[in-house]
Amino acid sequence: MLEIFRNMFRRKLRTILTITGITVGIFAFTVMGSMALRFNKMISGGKSFITGQITVFPKGTSFTTGTTGLLPLDVLKRIEKVEGVEAVAAGVELALKEPDPDNPTGGAGLGIPPTIEGTDLDSGHRNRNWTTLDMKAGRFLQKGDLDSYVTVGYTIATDNNLKVGDKFAIRGRDFEVVGIVDQTLTGPDSYVFMPLKPARELLIESNPFLKSLKERSDEAAKISDAALASLPAESRKQILEARAFKFEDVTQVAAISWQDGQDPEAVVDRIKEQFKDEVMVLSPAKMGEQIDKASAIFNAIILGSAVIALIVGGFSIINTMIMSISERKKEIGIKKAIGASNSSIAWDYTLEAGFIGIVGGVIGMALGVLVAILINAKTKASGAEIFLIRAWFMAVVVGFSFVLGIIAGVIPALRASKMKVVDAIREL
Amino acid sequence: MSRTLIQAKNLRKKYQMSKTNIVQALDGVDIEVQEGDFSAIVGPSGCGKSTLLHILGLLDKLDEGEYNLDGLDTTKIREKDANQIRAKKIGFIFQGFNLIPSLTALENIMQAGKYGGLNARQRKERAEELLDVMGLQERKKHKPNELSGGQQQRVAIARALVNKPAIILADEPTGELDSATSKDIIDLLKKLNQENNQTFLMVTHNMEVAEMCKKIIRLKDGRNA
Repeated sequence: MLEIFRNMFRRKLRTILTITGITVGIFAFTVMGSMALRFNKMISGGKSFITGQITVFPKGTSFTTGTTGLLPLDVLKRIEKVEGVEAVAAGVELALKEPDPDNPTGGAGLGIPPTIEGTDLDSGHRNRNWTTLDMKAGRFLQKGDLDSYVTVGYTIATDNNLKVGDKFAIRGRDFEVVGIVDQTLTGPDSYVFMPLKPARELLIESNPFLKSLKERSDEAAKISDAALASLPAESRKQILEARAFKFEDVTQVAAISWQDGQDPEAVVDRIKEQFKDEVMVLSPAKMGEQIDKASAIFNAIILGSAVIALIVGGFSIINTMIMSISERKKEIGIKKAIGASNSSIAWDYTLEAGFIGIVGGVIGMALGVLVAILINAKTKASGAEIFLIRAWFMAVVVGFSFVLGIIAGVIPALRASKMKVVDAIREL
Repeated sequence: MSRTLIQAKNLRKKYQMSKTNIVQALDGVDIEVQEGDFSAIVGPSGCGKSTLLHILGLLDKLDEGEYNLDGLDTTKIREKDANQIRAKKIGFIFQGFNLIPSLTALENIMQAGKYGGLNARQRKERAEELLDVMGLQERKKHKPNELSGGQQQRVAIARALVNKPAIILADEPTGELDSATSKDIIDLLKKLNQENNQTFLMVTHNMEVAEMCKKIIRLKDGRNA
């Protein structure tokens, strides 16, 4: 065993260069793999959420430009009557903080920026896959809660140093934290859940167009019917239009649950059919497929990086071992002459390659984890940790590098073991 | 009657050096070695001395002939078994000492014990014992390049002795040593032969060394001369 280590460093520079090759490959593998873990975790959480309900957006919503319309209350009430629909929950979403114009998505590309989720506590809607969230402390919002109560996600709580009972100022308004959701490694970590009413108010406040509609509507409401009747027709029409804006119509998204025993896709088709001019319906099955496609591409990229690590690292090990073996041909001859079996020769060289692999693997893995931790620390401020570091994955990476070394070492080692003693001895 | 260790008849071996150049290295050699022998194979360069030693040491295969090693018909054994036989029955000493450069004197000796099937404790004990016999206790932690030629050859002899082989085959054991050291080494081998009845068969072209042996086997052009 000791001999194997000494042999590794008989040609220090060459061994170090080979190890460096492995290190680079394994580093890439670790970094990309940790990113994939994070991404897949996020995706699978999102997938189980999106496939646990039927999600409805106003017609004209664009996910790429972020444009969104509103879902009038009347439409939601009519959707509720569609056959198979159990409940419809209105929802409002907005960024926790006023977006920075220089970084409008608020994240580092990957990850979910801190978001306010206005939650309809009275609807009776339930997501099939996310019935409850595990709580780290306190409780989730419930029916009848005060408008000033919020439940916050794990990342929000950590970043803002929140405990249950703390005051939390959001967009200039004070809220009280009643619960902290346990880490999910996906969406809910960066959510602030609040009742629908304050969320709507914050949304209107943040949106100049909605704000002006609301102000005009409030002004119009102050005018008595008697006063209205005395106004000229033109003005009367304007005031009636202003009054038509209702606070309850400020809904950006609705979650629909289906009754037990109903086929969600059939319910989706019915809603699509009846409301094709008003809403855009996301089918659980189709969304699931879309998400799978996206994560398949991402995973292929990760797998690709692992394969490159394998090829580059593997060849450099093979090369080094072939050189080492031809240099030590005589030594192999001596060992065989004094009785070494073929398998013990093959084993020694295979292990040597395996150790080169594992040393490179441990260094590459350590560097990868270090870089992942540093980048995570940097991007955490914006609510998006890009890498998920898992002990099992680190073990897999090191194991992989060892196996890589072994596989790359096998061919040269077998060549060494089959060397004819007389040929090797003649090198004397 | 002493035990016959090597009984070989009509050994033939040819090497194809190139398409047209075939060398008949052995052309019907007979050889017999009894337990306790101390013999030298002598002859001019290219007479087949080394080839004969390689074949007797199972390092190379015969083309034709019979070869019994300690009662075992070696023409029928496979390479795997040959490794085992070499480890347990045969000790080798080479001209260039041929120690493993990355191992210390002690480790070089112990390594052969490993191939011979000794466990770690037995290997250590046996190697220490041989270092005493060789007078090398003080040098045991040194690597080959820190030892003199004579010392290296003593380590190689100790290595050959580890598994208590039936026979030790030596290929020009004094080839790279000055005459004083050569004499020391041959005296050492002789002492091992006398005190332990250790059998030796060596190849040499040095007649002075050959004269010190009990028996001389002469070869010429691949045949007994």
